[in-house]
Amino acid sequence: MTVSHAHLRRRRQIATLAKHLVINFFVLIILLPLAWVFLLSIKSIPDAYTGALWPEQFDFTHYAYVLEKIETLPRNLWNSVYVTLATVFITSLCAVLGGYALVHLELPGRRLVLFGLIASLYFPVRVVSLISIFEIQRTLGLINTTSGLILPYVTLNLAISILIMRSIFEQIPRELIDAARIDGCGPWRTLVSVTLPLITNGLVVVLIVNFVTAWGEYLLAATLTNDQIVRTLPVVLASAHGGMGQWAWPRIAAVYVIVIAPGILVFALAQKFFFQGLLEGALKA
Amino acid sequence: MSRREEEYLIQEALLNRLRRGQMDRRQFMTRMLAAGLGLSGVSAAIAGCMPAPAPAAPQAGSAASSQGAASSGERPLTPTFYQWIVDLHPSIPEVNQRFENLNFQIAPVEGFGIERFVAEAKNQESTWDVYVGMTPFVEMTALIEAGVIEPWDEYIPKEVVDDLIPSIREECTVDGKLYSWPFLLDIIGMGWNSELTDQAGITSIPTTWDEYLAASQQIVDSGAALYGCTFDAHGWRSLAPFTHSLSTDVYTEEGLFDFTSEPAIEALKLMKEMMALSHPDILLEGATDGGVNGTPDEVAFAARKVAYYTKYFNAPLRMAANWPDPSKLKMAGLPKFAGGEGATVFWTTGACLFKYGKNKEKAAEYVRALTYDEQIWRDSIAGSATAHPGQLPPYASLYAKWDANPPDWMPPFVGLIRDQLPIARAIPNHLFGLTQFQIGKPHWETYLTGEEPDPMVAMQAAKDAVLAELEKARS
Amino acid sequence: MATLTSKPKLQALPYRPPAVLRNLTNWVFMVPALFFFLGYMVYPILRVLFISFTNYKYLSTEPAQWVGLQNYVDALQDPVMYAGLWRATQFTLMFLPGTIIIPLLLAVLVDRVQHRGLATFYRIIILIPAVIPGPMIFVLWKWLYNFQIGPINYILVEVLHLFTPQTAPQWLGGTPLTLPAVAIFEVWWGLGYHTMFFLAGLAAIPKELYEAARIDGANEWKLLLHVTIPRLRPVLAVLVVLRFGSAMAVIDEFLIFGGFNRASPTYTWTVYMYDLAFKIGEWLQGYAAAIGWIGAMAMMVVVAGLLYVFRPQD
Repeated sequence: MTVSHAHLRRRRQIATLAKHLVINFFVLIILLPLAWVFLLSIKSIPDAYTGALWPEQFDFTHYAYVLEKIETLPRNLWNSVYVTLATVFITSLCAVLGGYALVHLELPGRRLVLFGLIASLYFPVRVVSLISIFEIQRTLGLINTTSGLILPYVTLNLAISILIMRSIFEQIPRELIDAARIDGCGPWRTLVSVTLPLITNGLVVVLIVNFVTAWGEYLLAATLTNDQIVRTLPVVLASAHGGMGQWAWPRIAAVYVIVIAPGILVFALAQKFFFQGLLEGALKA
Repeated sequence: MSRREEEYLIQEALLNRLRRGQMDRRQFMTRMLAAGLGLSGVSAAIAGCMPAPAPAAPQAGSAASSQGAASSGERPLTPTFYQWIVDLHPSIPEVNQRFENLNFQIAPVEGFGIERFVAEAKNQESTWDVYVGMTPFVEMTALIEAGVIEPWDEYIPKEVVDDLIPSIREECTVDGKLYSWPFLLDIIGMGWNSELTDQAGITSIPTTWDEYLAASQQIVDSGAALYGCTFDAHGWRSLAPFTHSLSTDVYTEEGLFDFTSEPAIEALKLMKEMMALSHPDILLEGATDGGVNGTPDEVAFAARKVAYYTKYFNAPLRMAANWPDPSKLKMAGLPKFAGGEGATVFWTTGACLFKYGKNKEKAAEYVRALTYDEQIWRDSIAGSATAHPGQLPPYASLYAKWDANPPDWMPPFVGLIRDQLPIARAIPNHLFGLTQFQIGKPHWETYLTGEEPDPMVAMQAAKDAVLAELEKARS
Repeated sequence: MATLTSKPKLQALPYRPPAVLRNLTNWVFMVPALFFFLGYMVYPILRVLFISFTNYKYLSTEPAQWVGLQNYVDALQDPVMYAGLWRATQFTLMFLPGTIIIPLLLAVLVDRVQHRGLATFYRIIILIPAVIPGPMIFVLWKWLYNFQIGPINYILVEVLHLFTPQTAPQWLGGTPLTLPAVAIFEVWWGLGYHTMFFLAGLAAIPKELYEAARIDGANEWKLLLHVTIPRLRPVLAVLVVLRFGSAMAVIDEFLIFGGFNRASPTYTWTVYMYDLAFKIGEWLQGYAAAIGWIGAMAMMVVVAGLLYVFRPQD
């Protein structure tokens, strides 16, 4: 008995080791390209064009250079943050309300809505509808405004978000909703006080999905805005990467680090909170 | 960022629109309220707009002489620029300062280009008055057909038209009317890394393609660099200029490139010979702007892996800026075939006048100031702290002035290019001016990759593909 | 929250309005979503459908004419369209398995990390690519894949000596390697947030289920196959169907990495549509709209199949 016990323990240890090895392999795969970019941002310009991994000469001036030369950089960053936050907020609100209604409320025409949402996912809406969206924005006088981007942005992930929330709401037992109803809760009370605490993990996913899309959106931003001052950062950077003039690799790399660092930091901090919420939600379920 | 600041930003944006006459007061109020700004916004608006804007007068269609100034009261002169022009020419803001009340903007660039201009023209309106960034063979025909732009003839002074170098004037003219006011001149020439050629012991500058290939071979043989020469695989940057160096008479009556003409076939064969001395990824699409920029030749030249290069001059200048010693870059005209015409391809980037824009006379004044500005040319030719465009002016008088009194910053390649301009030829204006090279490229490349041994067959396929697409467009 | 713990009590039910009225007020929940959905998705798509029945040319000043099904007839005889659909399918086949299976396994592993600090650390690291804007991802991998001076080829040629400068792999720019190369970095990009998807799903699985199965003698693989994956079905369904849709309709990356070179494997039906609508001639948007709709309908057929496979089994 004791032998097999020790054997089992040993096996478990090996399994744990293997688990960590595999995870760390992926951690490396993610970190190495980013480390390379960081290194690129402090290489001297000729070094950046040799391909060698380690530079012969470091040059730390690229950061100062891009901050001085791209006057609109802070403003573009703010535009991105503003548009992203507004989009994430509105979409999440729509998704929670919609997902809840689709699962737990009697809704005549529910199937039609569902079909429409799903169908829209597979239609390349972004590309095909571009001209039409441009027309709408023109009519509303929202061309070349940062805030104007929020409206089409909300739809980018709207259907996905509602469907995610629907999946999550479906995991909430109906008995719970029925119990709430019997207790006299209306649909709003039920949503806010009964289900909301249970959907935190789903909401996290919706937040992330929307954050990623709005933060990185390119096609609409490039089409619907045109002054550099009202544009979001990715668009400015992508056009800066046209390879013109001052845009040597290490300088783009410096901007790169500046752009991705805040996102990563904020995320690293928020992550803790999100996962706590996730764990608590899971414990209660 | 606090909500107040956000409010302020929105408020400012709305106010600007109101002032520019892009919306009326009622719209403004509604939107202020809609934006949740309430009374604070409204009071700001009242304070900001005490001198009430004049009601928008209908734009006078014709160029009444003094009316232009009066109608400019509606909105300031609003030019929009292609982003890279502003990036490359740092003294444009100085010219702008000379124009009071100028609403300077940057044009949409990513892939879409003219789509927004067309959308506005369909509504018979235009946010902008003049667009600086149009390249005739690329988009001018489309802009004319879509009714977006009108000719400059009524607004451009005669002495300016006369000052344009004839080949350039021809490039910008359609049906006898000048639709582009040319600004920057790009021309395909030769650049080389003299550090590498010195190392290989090459002392003379190749003037024919045979010499060019021999020198490139010498680079490889001596081990001075990994590769001898390179080109940009996009047709208007290699196939067409190489063809021109033999003959410029290679266009159909309609204005399409004649892929199966003898000179074009010779150019294609030349490209294959160059490829044997070049980096293997030479035919790959570029990394930006829909594959058109950030091409492999640029990387190779920037990385000092190749000695000889043929492209518009901005490219080698931009790449050499990444070298430890950028002064090692030398430039000259394009080599030619023995007995060939010795021409090349050039294109200008110019300003076009929006049909539904305003301030047309002011626009002409502005473009004139811009295109004759000394500092812009000095920066363009000699380089500035931030950029080195390598682009030249379109006016004969500027060259004449420099000839008579050479400035100390003038590099020798300028004279060489000036000499080539009378015989060089632009790609004719056609709706498929650029597209024909995009569509034909995969077909002629079958010869370059060795898939198709007969260059004629490859070129015929390219020609057929272009015609098929043209047919589709006409149906 | 009281309702969670307190047992339902029998009491007099409050007044409830008639069913129809009640249902109508339920629609209030859908209003915000429907506003955006109808205004910015349904209407534009329908308008594009309308355009597909006309000979609309964007740059032409002549009014468009109704041509009925002509665009569809032409498109169905257009080899470029078929090639485009096939290329998009190839890409999807390369991308989809990787972007589902790898994050799933990773999520299962990360979910079992006991050490809380370490677990958080892993999650943060894995999520980093998800907070990098799309265009920045493209810039990064353009550098990494660069044929001449990118680090990948540098390692392959200069460090490992597996290739010479002449034979090194040509990743991006329209070679046969381009689609796999794009698929690889797309998986990299989505790794974090797909893992998050699965982690969120895993968190909803009651741990007692595992305990019970373990007591029954199930090993880890059996747990994964018979407990975890069936429970992740809703998440899997969303992900597979979603990623299928996005993979078939990729455009930004293909525009960047293959341009408008029709020989490039990245010249998919979306790029063709874009090319027709915004680049070629007078911009044949009527025809482009038809291509778009044909591509979309072809995708819908597959999607219907996937939804059938993943139908709720209760």
